[in-house]
Amino acid sequence: MVDLIVIGAGLSGMMAAYTAAKAGLNVRVVAKGLGSIHWSAGTIDVLGYLPEAYEGSVKRPFEAMQSFPDTRPEHPYALMGEESVSQALATFVALSKEIGVPYGGANNPGDNLLLPSPAGAARPTYLAPQAQLAGDLSRTEPMVIVGFKGMRDFFPELIAENLNKLGYKARAAFLDVKLISDQRDRNTVQLAHGLDQKEKRIALASALKKIVQPGERIGLPAILGMSHHLTLLAELEEATNSPVFEIPTLPPSVPGVRLFTALREHIRGMGVRVEAGVEVINSQATTANGSPGKVEWIESETSARPWKQKAPKFLLATGGILGGGFDSNIEGRVWEKIFDLPLTVPQKRTEWFEAGFLSQNGHPVFNGGVTVNKDFQPIDSAGKPLFTNLWATGNVLAQYDPIQERSLEGTAVATGIAAGMALSQ
Amino acid sequence: MHTKSWHSVGPSLDECIKCNVCTTYCPVAAVTDKFAGPKYSGPQAQRFREIDQVQTPDHSVDYCSGCRVCNEVCPSGVKIAELNARARAHIMAEEGIPLRNKMLGRNETLGKLGSIVPPLANFGLHNPISRIVAEKVMGIAKDAPLPKWSTSGTFGSWMKKTASQRLKSDKKVVYYHGCATMYYEPFIGKAAVAVFEHNGFEVLVPPQNCCGLPLLSNGEFDEAEKYHQNNINKLLVYAQAGLAIVGTSTSCTLTLKEEAPELLDMDGEDSNALKMATWDIFEWLRELHESGDLKTDFVNMQMVLPYHAPCQYRAHRVGKPALELLTIIPGIDARESHARCCGIAGTYGYKKEKYQIAMDVGQELFDFVHEQEGDVTMTACDSETCRWQLEHGTDLPSRHPIEILAAAYGLYDLENRKLASE
Repeated sequence: MVDLIVIGAGLSGMMAAYTAAKAGLNVRVVAKGLGSIHWSAGTIDVLGYLPEAYEGSVKRPFEAMQSFPDTRPEHPYALMGEESVSQALATFVALSKEIGVPYGGANNPGDNLLLPSPAGAARPTYLAPQAQLAGDLSRTEPMVIVGFKGMRDFFPELIAENLNKLGYKARAAFLDVKLISDQRDRNTVQLAHGLDQKEKRIALASALKKIVQPGERIGLPAILGMSHHLTLLAELEEATNSPVFEIPTLPPSVPGVRLFTALREHIRGMGVRVEAGVEVINSQATTANGSPGKVEWIESETSARPWKQKAPKFLLATGGILGGGFDSNIEGRVWEKIFDLPLTVPQKRTEWFEAGFLSQNGHPVFNGGVTVNKDFQPIDSAGKPLFTNLWATGNVLAQYDPIQERSLEGTAVATGIAAGMALSQ
Repeated sequence: MHTKSWHSVGPSLDECIKCNVCTTYCPVAAVTDKFAGPKYSGPQAQRFREIDQVQTPDHSVDYCSGCRVCNEVCPSGVKIAELNARARAHIMAEEGIPLRNKMLGRNETLGKLGSIVPPLANFGLHNPISRIVAEKVMGIAKDAPLPKWSTSGTFGSWMKKTASQRLKSDKKVVYYHGCATMYYEPFIGKAAVAVFEHNGFEVLVPPQNCCGLPLLSNGEFDEAEKYHQNNINKLLVYAQAGLAIVGTSTSCTLTLKEEAPELLDMDGEDSNALKMATWDIFEWLRELHESGDLKTDFVNMQMVLPYHAPCQYRAHRVGKPALELLTIIPGIDARESHARCCGIAGTYGYKKEKYQIAMDVGQELFDFVHEQEGDVTMTACDSETCRWQLEHGTDLPSRHPIEILAAAYGLYDLENRKLASE
């Protein structure tokens, strides 16, 4: 019998499923489709910007977080406490090594990394896949940013020029190496599969050798192999005698696909069933006067009648506005789609957005969500849990704006693990 | 020609955010250059398709196998496989349907013809010379795993013959056998009847016909519509009486539920009643189990069993009920395949130009079976064409989970594929 149904296969749902399975629960993950991790840069952004420090990015996220109990007492990081967040990220790093997609951070422990974005900006993040670490902009070696002829959405000149403007030494170069047949769509995943083949790996290494200058490090689009990724990275560094790093691309993001695939395989090995194509559309709960109710079942859409799924425990990890966990109508009403949980999102369209697109305060619509207690159980306005057996994690949560803060994956990992632990007790 | 259908699956097109997750998981695009991938052939090319267009863009859509992995992984709910099926039908209407596709689409007619003198039909179809001729003349791949007609009578003839022995009960269920059980694998139907009756259900097998899926996937929508309408005519009265119509062929039940109504725009009350009455057998058995009414007087089966939930099963979006029930049988160590597709995709892999693609797609499944530790003597899968492909690709026998369940009740001989009472 299933002990826990996790709704959503993004990073927080997957981390919660992992944590609960590790604690011995029989877990099923259901998801409408496979998404969010596949769109992410593959990095774990913990805290990149705060409005009070808008001119610069956050240097040491855990130090910045220490003021949260005073400044943002309902922020998920404040609910957990800085130490638990830090422990959760350490758990993620250990797991990443165990499952073959090793992550690392800045040389100075506790610092944010600054990594080149696909637009050539310096992007703060806390943890990055091994292949992105040599892009660390605190390093001094000049960069050669290498693109592939015919690959769309990756522009070495743009990246190099913008990096130069920021004071980092970089130049652009193009390779005319054919990675896949001309008949194929040159999207990042197809190119990465092409580079899993030995002859393509050798061709790339020898082409790079010809353009790299001594002392340079090499930045490439994040397509360096799928199943043979780490092998290829080592081969390229050895052949060119230079550090090699990946720069994330537009979706589908190969580092994201690598992370999701490794996580899914690992939790499947722990007995977790991951079902995609299952869209949860409804739920049924018993309510009790004054005390918390109980979720009896959820229902998902099928080819005919809805599929009623019962379990003792449920975890909501469907994401917010962006992930599809919330819906809205033209009047501006925003609601949580499965349990109709109370939301802090403004219910008037005119109040959703700040005036400027890149407003330093972020947009209220992204800051709103489900309010939870320290155990990540949704609560009512009086602070009491709404249901005894429901938890919520990740981007459905209220009181933080992951876009403005650059905290999307950090909050997902931290709250996923925290809720997984709370519900396993 | 169902040109009106362009626009009913159409709106889902606008949900596409171009994230390419579909292409990332498409098992066909992974192994061939001939298919541009679901995003390109589906939502992308669809922007350039119009009703009454003289020439449809992107003929590579014919290389879509219709496995629906794209629909499964799409985070936005785009009906990519359906867009592709319609585009194929449009191309077929434009260019004419090859004789081969017409033949492969008429599974039921072939079943009936071959069942007149099955040994002769089997010899005629399955000798090496005729397979070479069939490949050269018709384009049917000579090595593709075509089924053999049953030489011990059809399922229908067995039902007639054993009518007096059949259980009578207040609890009744309608069995939808599909063409494969009727003409090629009557033992699947016998196993299903044994399981129904063991659980106290009287089995009704009313007249029925092919679900029309082979016609849909070969682009003959007008003919498919006749088939679906005929099934509505024959089965509606049972649906209206509140009886469950339960099938052992997972692609047939999917077609009755969703594929036919959706692709053919047959969304009327009658079609909907049939849809809502139709169940895949393990979906129905799981309900029975959850309400505590499934008998669990199993014998110990002691076996390592690689199980593949076919893509057509996953397209039901009901989870993996067969796997759930197999795991409650004592002794069964079921190993769940995560392969995307076996490759055959109905009649796709029978076609000369697609045979190798189908084998390459299936490789991850064949590898999964071979990688299993322990004494693997057979595999299990809910779809007939997938079982034939699995046997072809692994050299191991493959069984429908209902055969395994019947055997676990002590009612069925798994090795010789016959009832214990026969």
